[in-house]
Amino acid sequence: MSTLTRFSAIPYTGPAPTNRNPYVPADVATIDARGAEIAARAGVALEQETGLDLPAFIVAKEAIVPTLRALRDHTEFQFDLPLDLFGVDYPGREQRFDVVYQLYSVKNNERIRLKVRVGETESVPTSVDVYRAFDWFEREVFDMYGVRFEGHPNLRRILTHEMFQGHALRKDYDPAQRWLLSEQGVAKLKPKIDPRFEVEHSDFERVTLNLGPSHPAMHGTLRCAVTLEGETIVGADQEIGYLHRCFEKMSETHTYQQVIPFTDRLNYCSAVINNVGYCMTVEKLLGVAAPERAQHVRLMLSEFYRIADHIVCIGTNLVDLGALTNFWYLFQPREEIIALAESCSGARLLPTYLRIGGLAVDVPADFLSNSQRIVNMLPKYIDEVEALVMKNRIFRDRTEGVGAITKEDALNFGFTGPCLRAAGVPFDVRKASPYLGYETYDWDVPYAEGGDTYARFLVRFEEMRQSIRILQQAIDRGLPSGPVIVDNPYVALPPKEKVYNEMESLIYHFKLIMHGIQPPVGEAYFQVEGGNGEVGFYIVSDGTKNPYRVRVRPPCFPIFEAYGHMIMGQTIPDAIATLGSLNIIAGELDH
Amino acid sequence: MPVTRTAPGIVRVEREAMTLSQRAYLPQILGGMLRTFRHFLRNLFNMKGLPTISYPEVKRVYSERFRGRHILTTREDGTTRCVACYMCSTACPAECITIEAGEDQRTREKFPVRYDIDLLRCIFCGYCVDACPEDAIYMTRDYEMSIDTRARAVVGLRDLVVPPDFPVEPMGWRPYYGKMDKRGTAGGTGIGQPIREAPYKEEMPIPNPDVYRGA
Ligand code: SF4
Ligand code: SF4
Repeated sequence: MSTLTRFSAIPYTGPAPTNRNPYVPADVATIDARGAEIAARAGVALEQETGLDLPAFIVAKEAIVPTLRALRDHTEFQFDLPLDLFGVDYPGREQRFDVVYQLYSVKNNERIRLKVRVGETESVPTSVDVYRAFDWFEREVFDMYGVRFEGHPNLRRILTHEMFQGHALRKDYDPAQRWLLSEQGVAKLKPKIDPRFEVEHSDFERVTLNLGPSHPAMHGTLRCAVTLEGETIVGADQEIGYLHRCFEKMSETHTYQQVIPFTDRLNYCSAVINNVGYCMTVEKLLGVAAPERAQHVRLMLSEFYRIADHIVCIGTNLVDLGALTNFWYLFQPREEIIALAESCSGARLLPTYLRIGGLAVDVPADFLSNSQRIVNMLPKYIDEVEALVMKNRIFRDRTEGVGAITKEDALNFGFTGPCLRAAGVPFDVRKASPYLGYETYDWDVPYAEGGDTYARFLVRFEEMRQSIRILQQAIDRGLPSGPVIVDNPYVALPPKEKVYNEMESLIYHFKLIMHGIQPPVGEAYFQVEGGNGEVGFYIVSDGTKNPYRVRVRPPCFPIFEAYGHMIMGQTIPDAIATLGSLNIIAGELDH
Repeated sequence: MPVTRTAPGIVRVEREAMTLSQRAYLPQILGGMLRTFRHFLRNLFNMKGLPTISYPEVKRVYSERFRGRHILTTREDGTTRCVACYMCSTACPAECITIEAGEDQRTREKFPVRYDIDLLRCIFCGYCVDACPEDAIYMTRDYEMSIDTRARAVVGLRDLVVPPDFPVEPMGWRPYYGKMDKRGTAGGTGIGQPIREAPYKEEMPIPNPDVYRGA
């Protein structure tokens, strides 16, 4: 434990603690040793913060840019993938904000966390020059906390409206406030012209065209303003936030259990995967693990939803390209997958099937036979659509070389998931840091070269096949017997028959509903492989029933940030083809 | 598309060069057309195997866990089971349940004098059912909840409470006792799926069917 009092600023008014020892990860000695090693060899001054679930360091705000650069360019550590940048507010502390940077090294498969402390009037130097991904992340921290980033090229609000007042994630911001927002206060979007096209070299007049926010080709409420010279895109600027639903602020006012339905609505095409990520983060904090049977079902549903997510992406992308038939073909197996989820959980798109510590109820008796039926039917549809499009000349002409991004750029922009793999980096969380027993299955991470739209199609088709492989093995192994939720009355509701008949269970039931789950004080990050990249949750617990801070790492946030870069110099139809292949889900993008 | 293993557990998906017939464009287009046409013919002569459902003439039957509109159950003596303990409204993440408690002068039992669910706020998560210690709130398989005014989305005791003999069997999400061996109906759109003809048959009652029609 470092000398820094990590949570002293938080007033604790909840009920008497049950397990108020601070959260300590199981392998804390190894993590701290690794942290010391990095600190010793990084070549920059790093003050280590021990006892956390990742090697963590505190960096002075003046030193953050050189530190990030040193870590990125270090020949041994090579933290080349910027994962996340967010803030945490501890009012009452002299420097009330923590600005947290999370980095990943593809080479060594390890993560670190850097924290910069800033006061209300101070600002942090911008790190956009080191990691381009942090452009939008810094804007988000500014929007939510009011922390200024010195030298940032475009520091304005990103998720909330221009006329919004205050900074929503500050602890002293009252979530019940309402602001009147109107069109008048909104500045016109003026796309920045790409340096390559700075000088006009044609007779065409430059026009600015708005794509979205309500346009059939912009999936969800996305908006991109492009400047056209003739047909060529010479400038692009994306605007997001149209679907901002205050996920993070809302989580702070609800109990841990109540946040689960909200996570469904992040990436609503693969809701179960978000549930898994969130529940496993809280379980990590609590130090409990879901029973084997629950883990097995979680894995199977995750893979089913991954397939469904890819189906939506491929199907809608092909619609944008004018190939409507494939959409109908593919949506039949998706419907079967969703019906399977409905038979387990009672809801189709947003199942809310998981609970912290396991599942809401056991799967129905015909779960495995239904899964087998879907697994049997899936290859036919995948093969058929692949045969229809992948060798089609029109399709290849429209996707090959379109919306390409290099490996280095993809990493620097913070890509994860299929988009990163299509650029040639075979990074998959399920392989890199397996959870739910993925390491015991025989499957491969597919990747492709080129980073263009065609490569993203290649990767997604192959990933569906790999998911089918995992599913087939999971079905063959059968469901482990046993309970589906932990037998711990501080985490899971007791069974109903006990609640109706036993006084003790009834009291536990009351306690859990009224006072919620109270994880030990601490912070934890856990990541899963979502449909379109790494979905990570960072949770700070102050020991009360409400999370002190829930941060979700939305994978499409940095991907959409790079969109303008990817379509530069191309035409509008190319831009549409590219957008579909990125699989931007507005619910998650705007959280 | 062919794959090459580049490392254990990692495969590279290769791009195939286009063959001459693919480059020539027409043979492939005709092949694709043929494939689509085969589907068309198959569907034309096998209407029963169509994956679509002609809603509302035919309706899907959802599983016995379906989280549809709520009901409040009743004891044999005709009083509502709900004891206005506020557990459901505490557990509700959407904060859409409003309860006002009253006291029965005769039995000294608490009971709800007002119990409103705002169905437009409700996210149909089922937490209220899980939270109820009295077996008082269930969710039905009723998913047809269209309304024409916002006020009508708020359903009260009059709409929610069902008679004591209301059959529980074709119900949706409700507290399960002990082991679950009920079969789900993951029929999807495939052939042989459970569907039923509208209107609702006798054994599929929906509570207070006139709720959404009158004020
Ligand atoms: S289903 Fe969920 S949102 Fe709806 S009333 Fe019950 S707890 Fe509230
Ligand atoms: S429905 Fe159940 S949980 Fe809600 S107030 Fe009534 S008895 Fe309590």
